[in-house]
Order: sequence, then C-alpha cells, then structure tokens
Amino acid sequence: MKTQSNANELIDRYLSQLDDALRDVPADRRVQIVEEVANHIAEGRSMLDVEDEVSVQALLDRVGDPATIAEEAGATRTPARVADAWVPWLLLFGGFALLAGWFVGVALLWSSKVWKVSDKLLGTFVVPGGLALLLPLSAWLIAAPLIDGIVVFLFALVAPVITAVHLDRVRRAG
Amino acid sequence: MPPLTNILCMVPGDDAVWIAQLRRGSVEHCVLALLSHGERYGFDLARTLADSGGLIGSEGTIYPLLARLRKNGLVESTWQESAEGPPRRYYQLTEAGQLALTAFIDHWKVFRAAVDGILEEATSR
Repeated sequence: MKTQSNANELIDRYLSQLDDALRDVPADRRVQIVEEVANHIAEGRSMLDVEDEVSVQALLDRVGDPATIAEEAGATRTPARVADAWVPWLLLFGGFALLAGWFVGVALLWSSKVWKVSDKLLGTFVVPGGLALLLPLSAWLIAAPLIDGIVVFLFALVAPVITAVHLDRVRRAG
Repeated sequence: MPPLTNILCMVPGDDAVWIAQLRRGSVEHCVLALLSHGERYGFDLARTLADSGGLIGSEGTIYPLLARLRKNGLVESTWQESAEGPPRRYYQLTEAGQLALTAFIDHWKVFRAAVDGILEEATSR
C-alpha cells in the first residue's frame, strides 16, 4: 500500500535525523535513545485510527524536533575544553619537541575536568615522555640482552599508545 | 493571571532559556514521582508529561532524561512483552530514586513558598 510505505519512509527519515543529531552523545546512550524513540513511534502508530502521512507526521511532531532531543541528551555532558582533545596526542608525541610538548600535555591533563584522577595518573606515568622515551632508551636497548631489549622496547612503544587511545575514548564518552 | 501552563506554552525567544532551566530542575523529579506508585513504560510517561501542559517540550525529550536517571541509578528498567505492539521497556524507582524524590519534595515545598512569597509581594503593590 502506498500510504503505508510513505509513512514508513517518514519514520525512517525521522529516526536517521535523530541518530545524526545524537552523534556527539556516547554510543551506548545514543543507541538506547534511538531505540526507545523508535518504540515510542511504533506504540503511537498502533494507536492511530487512520494511518496516513498526515497522522504519522502529527505523531512525529509530538515526539519533537531531533535537535531538541539531542540538546536534552547533551545537557549534562562533562564540560570539555577544546584543548582537551589535544591532551592524549601531546602526551604521546609532545616529548619529541624537547619534552616541552609532553609537559604542556601533562599540565592540560591535570587541569581538565574530563578525566578522573586514575586516568590522570595513568596519563602521566605510562609512560613519562610518551614515545620520545624510546630515544634515550635506544642506547641502552642496543647493549641489553635481546629478550630484555625486545620486551622493554615493545612496552615503551605500545603502553603510551594504549594510554593515549584510552584517554581519547574517555574524553569522547564525556 | 493566566494559568502557568499557558504562560509556558506561549513564550517565545529568550524566555525559552529560563523555561528550559525551570524544567531541567523539576521534570526529572516529576518522572520519579510518576514512578512512585509502580513501574511505567516510556510512552506512557511521555504522554502523561506532555498532556500535563508545559512540563516537557516534546514527548521525545523524555528518553534522554530517562537514560540519565538510569545512569545515575535513580531508576532501573526491564523489557516486557506487550500484548499489542512492540516490547516495552518498563521503568521502576530504585531505593536511591525514592530517597531523591523524598528529598526533592521537601526542598520543593520550601522553594515554592519562598518564590510565591516574593512574587506575591511584588504583584500586590
């Protein structure tokens, strides 16, 4: 039936607009909200006396503007500064800029409201200097026994990357 | 003086800002109050609040609010099959939610009396 497929189309379009409006909301909450609104619409639809484009549009109007719903979803996010986005990468690569970049990263990390103390400790000590630690380490690595050298090298390479990715994920989750 | 709900529905522009602020502080607790007599599902809560006049901007805004209450441990939810229509997520008050509601009711009475007192004094002159 044509009117029914048009109604489906209206609803699909609305839900994709909502999903898009919620892009800055943490993924698990975003999925839950879209799912609940989809259920709400299905529930409202089952109560309609006449199902056509007009009545379905009226139903969607009652559900409201996706932007308003997204605003409500974002209302309690942790206030993040623009600089917070730089922190994980300053910690990782900043050491190459005469270590100064790394210290800036640490200062921003500790002054931010986005991370918990445990994250801040992790960001500071795993590992100090970030990837730049590999430079002074390399002299020792060459002289060290092979297995020890490989283990330390891998740790100095992988640990700061994992820390940076973790900090970035926490920030995005708000 | 027109009833409060009419005022809330009429005002455009900058007034939307303080209305949003008024709602933000109180609607969450209205949801807790609606759940105090037993579990309810989202659609039912949304319609009740929307029909109350001015408490929520639109029905859909209840879902981020419910997600927030759930995250803060004030409500919990379970999926239940429904005889007609899709499965429903039912919300129940937790013990923490009950405590939050009780505290809000006490504060609200004091707060409302204080605001009313000042507004009445201002309008009676």
